[in-house]
Amino acid sequence: MKLNLTVQPRFRLNFSPLVWVLLTLMGIAFVVAMMRYAFGIGVISDLSYSYPWGFWISFDLFTGVAISSGGFLMAGTVYILRIKEFEPLLRPSVLTAFLGYIMVAIALLVDLGQPLRIWYMMIHWNHTSVLLEIGICVMSYLTVLAIEFAPVVLERFPKVHKVAHLIHKFIMPFVIFGVVLSTLHQSSLGSLLLIQPSKLHPLWWTPILPIMFFASAISIGLAMIILESSLSSRYFQRGLETHLLAKLAKAIPVALVIYGLLKFGELAVAGDFGYLFTSGTMSILFWAEILIGVITPIIWLSIKKNRESANGLLTGAIIVLGGMILNRFNVSWFAVKHPDPLFYMPTFMSNVKYFPTLPEVAVSLGIFAAGILAFGLAAKYLPVFEAEHEAEEVHQSLHGLQPIRASADD
Amino acid sequence: MTVIKHHAYLFDATRCIDCRACMVACSVENNIDMDKTRIWVAGLGVTGEYPELQRGTMVYHCMHCDHPDCMSACPVGAYTKAEDGPVTYNPDLCIGCRYCMNACPFGVPHFDYDKGIIEGAFIDKCTFCPQRIYNGQEPACVETCPTDALEYGDREELIAKAHARIAEHPTRYIDHVYGEFENGGTSYLILSHVPFSELGLPNLPETPVNEVSEKVMEMTIPFALGWGAVLTAVTTGVALYDNKKKAASKEKAETTK
Repeated sequence: MKLNLTVQPRFRLNFSPLVWVLLTLMGIAFVVAMMRYAFGIGVISDLSYSYPWGFWISFDLFTGVAISSGGFLMAGTVYILRIKEFEPLLRPSVLTAFLGYIMVAIALLVDLGQPLRIWYMMIHWNHTSVLLEIGICVMSYLTVLAIEFAPVVLERFPKVHKVAHLIHKFIMPFVIFGVVLSTLHQSSLGSLLLIQPSKLHPLWWTPILPIMFFASAISIGLAMIILESSLSSRYFQRGLETHLLAKLAKAIPVALVIYGLLKFGELAVAGDFGYLFTSGTMSILFWAEILIGVITPIIWLSIKKNRESANGLLTGAIIVLGGMILNRFNVSWFAVKHPDPLFYMPTFMSNVKYFPTLPEVAVSLGIFAAGILAFGLAAKYLPVFEAEHEAEEVHQSLHGLQPIRASADD
Repeated sequence: MTVIKHHAYLFDATRCIDCRACMVACSVENNIDMDKTRIWVAGLGVTGEYPELQRGTMVYHCMHCDHPDCMSACPVGAYTKAEDGPVTYNPDLCIGCRYCMNACPFGVPHFDYDKGIIEGAFIDKCTFCPQRIYNGQEPACVETCPTDALEYGDREELIAKAHARIAEHPTRYIDHVYGEFENGGTSYLILSHVPFSELGLPNLPETPVNEVSEKVMEMTIPFALGWGAVLTAVTTGVALYDNKKKAASKEKAETTK
């Protein structure tokens, strides 16, 4: 199946089957979300007194933000460190991040009890709340990403070319602000769970949770860039920057070794080694996460042959993402212990088991489908991948502090 | 009546007879549905071995912590801690994120899962009956309790009373007043004849659970400023180095021409 979004003359839309599937998923999610707004969260989900946060938070917030970290990694590499050879990966990564954060925001509008009050976070500040920091950072970073991505849209329209040029000229403060914001909220997602020392299993609860989250966000971001480049090169039949992706893939084992050392170092210091084999399901989840997300990819991506083939890269990226997404689910859902059922409980707290319902998953799937569709449309109609051909000439045209993309279209 | 400096409850598990009158009193006083009451009684069944059989019940409601974790977690500051004890919730600020439910180690706040956005879905929890205690009355649950399992008064006095009761019946009670130090001190104190974990109470340290996250939050702004400065320095450095290199290569190209 190819993502075929050809617009025929007179705007007759000729959708491929994949687009129909995506549109159907979006439609289902929309209907389910309307039911939730009319009748309450309990109608469509299994969330309860014992489980205030479930699939939406683990998948849409924790996973969604983590897989959007490629944006700030590439912006930092290309703009701040000026490693210009990675330029072809910049725009797709920023687009992935931009769409990723929009998806997070939409999902939160379903999950929040008072979605119309989401802007209260901008005026009512409780400075001890980690969630406030995440809210402010995500809102600001969404603005920064919009500014970083705006030139791609503006270049499409010759009349506003000047504006794109202007944004290019003053992009550096936004890039730095974006990297700071990303560092803050990627790590703060870990801090979010610091307040649950009595609920989160000691294999995961540590005072350095923010550092662990930031360390793992780096390998997740790199893996996501590889995944998204590989898939879009397959669907749009464009060239794959294998030599660039190989360099990213080389960095992943380094990031993962640091992450692994931090993880086990922390367990050693806290004296939690005892839990490694004695906690039943928790031990199994922990080792699954370490084996899939850390050990296997370190070995796989250390082999040169795997890094240099398209399939090897894609496989490596999928393994990293699988393990690390399991980590996000573990830390925000599976390893969180909620109140035990007692002999008698009032009805509102009698539901102490949680399993996501179909409508709950349908909301997340629909939002994800919208993201894929938006990526496809952007890739088709906007110069997202064009830097690929221009990288060389841009490289030549650099002068002074002027940003890299400035003269790409002159 | 003596002036109460720090409002508090004392619950004695040995006195509770599981009549649940407190639940009725609470829902009547605060006009809330019985199945959403802010106080609830958990029967623990019969424990122990014959002939040493015991029957336990536990009354839960908000612990009114001295360092409330719900208040620390709430992004919009919908919770307030009064200096004289009560922790209260303001539905006008609540955005419904349910982080307080996650943060509370006792699992106290609960949420309207059955309300859409028109009715409005809010958090609910015990308010300490401010309409009563500030008018010289006891909270509704305490006033209605037929066996004095629930008592109300000044925190210091209740702690002294609890310790006196333990001293009087050393074989009946476990020698500990739950809530005196747990989670930095709570305004709901518990006396029990069975281990507190059997009552469903978490084993908490004397430091409040929000201590680590509040420390991390304190470091956020300095860290952001420092990290921003470092990045600016790196950007400038790399740009200068880059320009220098480019000028050098240009010069070289010109001289070789």
